[in-house]
Amino acid sequence: METAGWKRMGLGLSLVWLFFCVFPLYFVAVTAFKPPLAVSQGPTYIPFFDFEPTLQAFRDAFSGLRGDFYGPIMSSIFVSTAATATSVFLGTMAAYALVRFEFRIRLLSGLTFAVIAIGGFVFLQQVLGWGVPNALGAVLIVALTTAVLINRLPLPGPVLGNNDVTFWFVSQRMFPPIVSAFALFLLYAELGRAGMTMLDSFWGLLLAYTAFGLPFAVWLMRDFLESVPLEVEEAAMVDDIGRLRIFFQIVLPMSKPGLIATSMIVLAFIWNEFLFALLLTSGKWQTLPILIAGQNSSRGDEWWAISVAALIAIVPMIVVAAILGRMMRSGLLSGSIK
Amino acid sequence: MAQTAGRGDSIKHAFIGPAFLVVLVVTLFPLIYALVISFQAIRLVPPLPPRFVGFGNYAEILSSARFWGSMWTTSVIVFISVAFQYVIGFALALALHHNVAGASLYRVTFLLPMFLAPVCVALIARMVFHPYLGPVNDAMGMLGAGNIPFLTEPNLAIAVLITIEIWQWTPFVALLMLAGLQSLPGEVFEAAKVDNIPAWRRFRDITFPMLLPLSVAVVFIRLIEGFKVIDTVFVLTGGGPGTATETLTLFAYNEGFKKFNLGMTSALSFTFLIVVIVFGTLYLAAAQRVTRRYA
Repeated sequence: METAGWKRMGLGLSLVWLFFCVFPLYFVAVTAFKPPLAVSQGPTYIPFFDFEPTLQAFRDAFSGLRGDFYGPIMSSIFVSTAATATSVFLGTMAAYALVRFEFRIRLLSGLTFAVIAIGGFVFLQQVLGWGVPNALGAVLIVALTTAVLINRLPLPGPVLGNNDVTFWFVSQRMFPPIVSAFALFLLYAELGRAGMTMLDSFWGLLLAYTAFGLPFAVWLMRDFLESVPLEVEEAAMVDDIGRLRIFFQIVLPMSKPGLIATSMIVLAFIWNEFLFALLLTSGKWQTLPILIAGQNSSRGDEWWAISVAALIAIVPMIVVAAILGRMMRSGLLSGSIK
Repeated sequence: MAQTAGRGDSIKHAFIGPAFLVVLVVTLFPLIYALVISFQAIRLVPPLPPRFVGFGNYAEILSSARFWGSMWTTSVIVFISVAFQYVIGFALALALHHNVAGASLYRVTFLLPMFLAPVCVALIARMVFHPYLGPVNDAMGMLGAGNIPFLTEPNLAIAVLITIEIWQWTPFVALLMLAGLQSLPGEVFEAAKVDNIPAWRRFRDITFPMLLPLSVAVVFIRLIEGFKVIDTVFVLTGGGPGTATETLTLFAYNEGFKKFNLGMTSALSFTFLIVVIVFGTLYLAAAQRVTRRYA
């Protein structure tokens, strides 16, 4: 009796939320088929009843009459698939190392790295007047080598383990992205002055988005890989098969569901990403979110055109959400919250 | 973990190396450059040679009303929207967990908003909340109140931004809380049911305390992510009217790309970083205290 009351409340809430959740999507979907009059004379809702649906907005968009649509779509597709593939691949390798090996990193060596990196950069760039990319590159090599060597010494102080390394990867996401996006913009601009085009280029975006996706990839893949049974790998090791072959021929095929789920999530994040694209592109490699953000000022009240643009960005994500929803039902994602 | 330490150990560096290098080079190393610049007065338009100003940029930020305004706006949007996201998301997760009618339909639909680009969501919101042509004002008109200027009146614009955040990110809370609910041991609830403990007390005394650590984590993620908001504001109001709806990230962006004041933007983003770190530490300390009291 009492439980039934709670159930009814739950159902009520779900239905209200369903309406709240779906209505805006429904509205944008029908608006894409509206003729101009159906927009400018106040809101209309039901096709055939309120207005005569038309495909004109889609034709306009793809005929290229009203600005370039293909360019941003193509660059979004290229950049997001390439960056997703790279970051999931590198992330899976890192996650595998974190699951199967033990890492011991002295806090002191990490600190040495930071001190040498910052101090060395200030010295080289400000005092000796080196260019920014050269100074950063030199500092990176020196600081990294020193840190690795120091890590070998039996120094005092806390030792960081695998969980700390994982946290280091994930903590990149806690940074406000404007910090690294802006810093990256400055660095790319400097590289451009040194003759290496990174701003508004495929490689620049690929690199930025690979780093952007890595924290998710490492975090999610670590959980998936932990559930891959060890016995098969041990059997392979007895047969003296190398680690790399084990990884490519046994581990990767066995963690396919995990790879798919992780790729979907990373893809969604990169596909929708706005700030990096806003800072790092200016024309040729602009991605869809930038095009869409610009619709507002360039199209004004031409809602049918705006809706078409929005739909193009939304539809692939509906597919992603559907795939993930099916995986969620099979309990695949529930492991990753622990 | 680490069952094979020792034998063939050095290959682990080959596995983790590339990911480590990419994050280091792309995310962390540029920060060094930005840190140096944040202590300089450097401007691109009109070009101004770099000049060391010490903490000048930081002092200017802390004394600027616009900075505190954007802090306030961001905080209002984040705290109010996360509170709603948590309550509604948890309630939806409970409903889904107890298999309300049509649960499998809701599952996929409810996931959808968090996979959409925030810029798209903001564009849709612009249409839905349009003062003359939007459905919300259409409905308001039927109730007798029409043509509310949702996007040009500061408080209303912030309310719309909060609504968007709730719309988009409640699914995230619901998804994680649902996974948490499914991982709870069933026997405890069976026992409580046998003992005739009412549903409300089952929730208060068993479910809620057991999910508290997860709740802390979920709210933390949402708060941190919420503080970064720029895309929805960028499209919906552009920070206006005036700077009434400007968030921290948008403020930093405007300084850098409208005024080309590089030193200022760098200093601003580091201030932002410090705010997030301080806030995160405080939150985690407070959360730990609360969790311990319950446990």
